[in-house]
Amino acid sequence: MLRKLTPYLFVAPLMIFIAVFTYVPIVASLNLSVRQWNFLTPDMPFVGLRNYEELFASSEFWNSLWVTTVFAVLSVPLRLGAALAIASRLVRETLPSRLLRGALFLPSVTSTVSIAVVFSWVFATDYGMMNAILSGLGLGRPQWLQDPHLALWVLIIVNTWRQLGYDIVIYIAGLQAIPQELYDAAAVDGGRRFHVFRRVTMPLVMPTTYFLLVISVIEAFQVFTIVNVMTRGGPAGATDMLVNLLYEIGFVLFDIGRGSALAVILFVLLVTLAILKSRIIGSKVHYEA
Amino acid sequence: MKPENPILTTLSVAAGLLFLSPVLYSVWMSFQTADAFYTGKLVFTLDNYGRAVGEFNFARYLVNSLIVSGLVTVLGITVATLAAFAFARFTFRGGDLMFGATVATLMIPSHISLIPNYLTLAKAGLLDTYAGLILPAISNGFAAFFLRQYIRGIPKALDEAAYMDGATPLTVLWRIIVPLSRPAIASMALYIFITEWNNYIWPLVAVGKQDLYTLQIGLARLYKINPGEGLVDWPLVMAASTITILPVLIGFLLVERHLVRGITMGAVK
Repeated sequence: MLRKLTPYLFVAPLMIFIAVFTYVPIVASLNLSVRQWNFLTPDMPFVGLRNYEELFASSEFWNSLWVTTVFAVLSVPLRLGAALAIASRLVRETLPSRLLRGALFLPSVTSTVSIAVVFSWVFATDYGMMNAILSGLGLGRPQWLQDPHLALWVLIIVNTWRQLGYDIVIYIAGLQAIPQELYDAAAVDGGRRFHVFRRVTMPLVMPTTYFLLVISVIEAFQVFTIVNVMTRGGPAGATDMLVNLLYEIGFVLFDIGRGSALAVILFVLLVTLAILKSRIIGSKVHYEA
Repeated sequence: MKPENPILTTLSVAAGLLFLSPVLYSVWMSFQTADAFYTGKLVFTLDNYGRAVGEFNFARYLVNSLIVSGLVTVLGITVATLAAFAFARFTFRGGDLMFGATVATLMIPSHISLIPNYLTLAKAGLLDTYAGLILPAISNGFAAFFLRQYIRGIPKALDEAAYMDGATPLTVLWRIIVPLSRPAIASMALYIFITEWNNYIWPLVAVGKQDLYTLQIGLARLYKINPGEGLVDWPLVMAASTITILPVLIGFLLVERHLVRGITMGAVK
């Protein structure tokens, strides 16, 4: 009897925590999203789909979806392109390449708040690093974070700087899995470097690219810290990404119903992407053990 | 390994330093006075660290971060290892389903639980407590999945020999599985610690009392309240930022290779 119970005792703590803090909240969010509540009133009346309708009718929701999509569309190719270009030069296990890999990876374990603060200084209009360089070259002093056309770009650059090392490490793992014979064969055929890259490297790291593509799109839809610290969604909503909007509606306006409706929409979006990811990985990635 | 090319080594060090220059410069700046920073003079002072730690309470935030991240790591790795052991070694009713539910948490964005978890903890009276910061972070699906895969690679004959000698499952886990999984457990522990150390959105909503701020919240507030009035006191902010980065940076440099290997394994498997 006790023997039969053993595995359940071992998994129980994890299952309880997962149930209470991950699965029950999904159901709770669905429930809250059809109610009207602001934390204070004693009851929370059922309002049907009104919270969803309000969101879909509001310009801030569409703006936020648009800003987030633009962020993803601009930052993902930038990240992956740069990462593959750098990774293909750092594949070999030599001291220089290991040193550089270490430096590039450092930001992905560094506090995002610190990074946001440091880059707020880098892109500060006065006394900032970027404008010191630009004005030194006679190129003027853009108001990076106060300019609606530039602020999102700053966030894209900061996010890329932070994530690049991770992408590179994953690409290197993918590149190292390509059998050396293929390169030798290409060399025998007299393939030029760029040609070998396009015909051998690119297709063979495609699975890694798919993986990173979906990971980084999902990640782009969850960006919050740099927005909250650097711009709070401004100027004029130019960087108001979805999770920032969720935070503002839920924890600044205390509109629990509408915040939960937004959380549900974001959830559906991200889970669809995640399922797409596991499909892609299931069907296209074949790593040798 | 081929003999190193000194030019290449120098170049890659230079490129690495250039890439990290914003952070390196921020550390340098933290040793300047505000006056010197704005006028371009050069001085060296530890004043900003003194002010950050004393006047602006960063000693307390550092302790809070260590307590929260430390406990999340210890509890998280324990819970994950226990479950991983069961998933790897026992066939039991509902086992596959529960393992599936564990892996599925990797696909569930954490923001869906933000508002409900806030309400749960408010109801339990745990907002503005260490427990409120720690409890929602304990379950880690990735660690459980990763450790299960690792444990499956350990020969089962070892367990069976121990059971023959009358060992209980708990002894097998503690005497055989844990010692043999040490590298995997260490890299997952570090992964959990770093993730929790850098966690921002949850402490932001779960804590209002300043005495319970973690470093991340303290730093964000310090930057936003702008103690310099008008002009940001950048050297002070950078001292606080350096305090926030340093512990994880040291840990990372000590075990870089393990961590990178762990992350790569998780991604390509």
